[in-house]
Amino acid sequence: MSPVAEMGIVEEQIEISEGVVELTVRAPEIAGLSRAGQFVHVRVSTGFDPFLRRPMSVGPCGDGRLKLIFAIRGRGTRLLAGKLPGNTVDMIGPLGRGFDHPEEGVIPLLVAGGIGVVPLLLLNEQLPVGLERDFLLGVRSRTVLTVTDSEIERRHISVATDDGSLGYRGDVVQLLARRLDELDGRKVNIYGCGPGPMLTFLKRLCQERSIPAQVSLEVPMGCGVGACQSCAVLKADRKGYLLVCQDGPVFDIDAVDLSPEALP
Amino acid sequence: MKVDTTVRMGSLELRTPLLTGSGTFGYGDEFHTLVDYRALGGIVTKSISAHPRPGNPPPRICETPGGGIINSIGLANIGVDGFIADKVSALPIGETRVFISVVGDAVEEYVTVVEKLEQVDWVDGYELNLSCPNVKQGGLDIGGDWRAVAAIVREVRAATGRFLAVKLTPHQPRIAPVVEAAAGEGAEALTLTNTLVGMAVDVERRRPLLGAVTGGYSGPPLKPVALAMVWQAAQAVDVPIWASGGIVTGLDGVEFLLAGASGLQLGSVFFADTKAPGRILQEMCDYCERHGITRLADLTGKLEPL
Ligand SMILES: Cc1cc2nc3c(=O)[nH]c(=O)nc-3n(C[C@H](O)[C@H](O)[C@H](O)COP(=O)(O)OP(=O)(O)OC[C@H]3O[C@@H](n4cnc5c(N)ncnc54)[C@H](O)[C@@H]3O)c2cc1C
Ligand SMILES: Cc1cc2nc3c(=O)[nH]c(=O)nc-3n(C[C@H](O)[C@H](O)[C@H](O)COP(=O)(O)O)c2cc1C
Repeated sequence: MSPVAEMGIVEEQIEISEGVVELTVRAPEIAGLSRAGQFVHVRVSTGFDPFLRRPMSVGPCGDGRLKLIFAIRGRGTRLLAGKLPGNTVDMIGPLGRGFDHPEEGVIPLLVAGGIGVVPLLLLNEQLPVGLERDFLLGVRSRTVLTVTDSEIERRHISVATDDGSLGYRGDVVQLLARRLDELDGRKVNIYGCGPGPMLTFLKRLCQERSIPAQVSLEVPMGCGVGACQSCAVLKADRKGYLLVCQDGPVFDIDAVDLSPEALP
Repeated sequence: MKVDTTVRMGSLELRTPLLTGSGTFGYGDEFHTLVDYRALGGIVTKSISAHPRPGNPPPRICETPGGGIINSIGLANIGVDGFIADKVSALPIGETRVFISVVGDAVEEYVTVVEKLEQVDWVDGYELNLSCPNVKQGGLDIGGDWRAVAAIVREVRAATGRFLAVKLTPHQPRIAPVVEAAAGEGAEALTLTNTLVGMAVDVERRRPLLGAVTGGYSGPPLKPVALAMVWQAAQAVDVPIWASGGIVTGLDGVEFLLAGASGLQLGSVFFADTKAPGRILQEMCDYCERHGITRLADLTGKLEPL
């Protein structure tokens, strides 16, 4: 892994839905190196308060540009959302281990919860053109979509909403279970990213049906490069830890403990 | 005007006064494509213990308002044997000086680790991390008890002829007896200070932000505490002092030098700015030029009376 430090330049800032922002950033080095699932560590302040960088998955990229798509949660993401065209974004990246592409004959199933869609948007772009795939996205309601309507159409994304306001009514893991039934035993590989409860359900389903899956995890992080050991997650056997920034953020679903206690 | 950045510490000359703070710079190579090693006089590794330590339950890091962070890593490390087998080859040997931080829960553990590291050729020295619970003494900080400090430094001193620094906790009723004890037993540098014990709460969820509940408070808010300790230690002893606590700018570094420090450790700042060594060195040189000072080392202890 050889991450670089790059000062990106914002070219566009749009609000995808209430509280979800997409920045298009010109950053040729990082955009050229990134694999789906990898992340950038973004400085949100020009000073030292807030102190830490914010980890953000690399979204769709190409042409010397990458997209950062994020939900406004606290101070850091609020500052980042305030970046306008022409502003700079101090980033290090690409960091971490990304998704492994499926072997021949295996159908990739992309399963996203909310803002977890971001690394999967890049995976969808990096998978070989014409490869059969399925892209599922779960959100609470259509008002909090994390991708635009036109992207949903263009990328053939199947949407699940908790309130039934768009697409399938229910959660995305239920939608996945139905999809698996339809695929009727064909070989698949699941690529997941989303909130803790979704990952807990996803792991249960994958274990029940013996389906391999890779998931991208989000936890508080310090250095981003494996030096400080802040971003530890419990191994599945609960004997020791793995580091999200270095061993992940993408893990085989069987490698990590995704029980509710482990994902506070 | 060219400012001379070299500093002499006893038997060692460092290219610049800048060092890395233990635990913030890993085993020394994690930042290698991002950090300019030429701006560093040396690195201090993560603290190494006799056996691997898995570390504390997550979350292990959080932020506090005002630019602070709290970590509860729990001294996670692969242990001295793993370190020698897997990490030595990746150290930036030749690029900068290398100091190994050593931690233990009793005198014997410090000695065991140092004896094993003596087999490795290129190590420039050690920094003993004494800010950890003394298991035999009911978990009190080893570094807060001058007798325990004296005993550890004496035993380790007998085990190595290499440069020996001793890092102390800010939780000290009185700093003078402890630094005198360390210096008296042969410590060649004193690092002040380690993190303060701190805690933060998520009020909405009524839960601690750290898995271990409390952790080590560092970053800019720690600077005044560290500065006072550096100054007090410099009053008490003659050995070089390595400052640690909230250094994020060149002027922070100058403050510590004036208060009596010879070395300056960059810690948490790496999490915000990986280019900190080059930037901070430049900012200190700019200060020197403004004040007509030709050697950075000439600033040490030059605090004027009010
Ligand atoms: C590898 C990785 C990729 C990510 N990709 C994205 C993405 O593409 N889009 C997106 O919206 N979010 C993403 N996140 C989560 C994002 O980093 C957090 O939402 C963000 O750091 C919150 O910062 P804040 O200042 O707004 O929140 P605050 O709550 O004010 O943050 C306080 C501290 O907690 C940390 N923190 C809080 N929530 C999280 C979280 N869920 N994960 C990690 N750290 C957190 C912050 O980084 C900060 O250090 C990713 C996280 C990781 C680890
Ligand atoms: C994540 C993290 C891990 C640390 N680990 C160690 C350690 O293993 N040994 C040690 O002596 N100090 C450790 N420290 C303390 C730092 O070396 C430094 O003394 C302290 O953070 C104050 O300096 P700063 O404000 O510049 O970070 C750690 C600090 C942080 C933030």
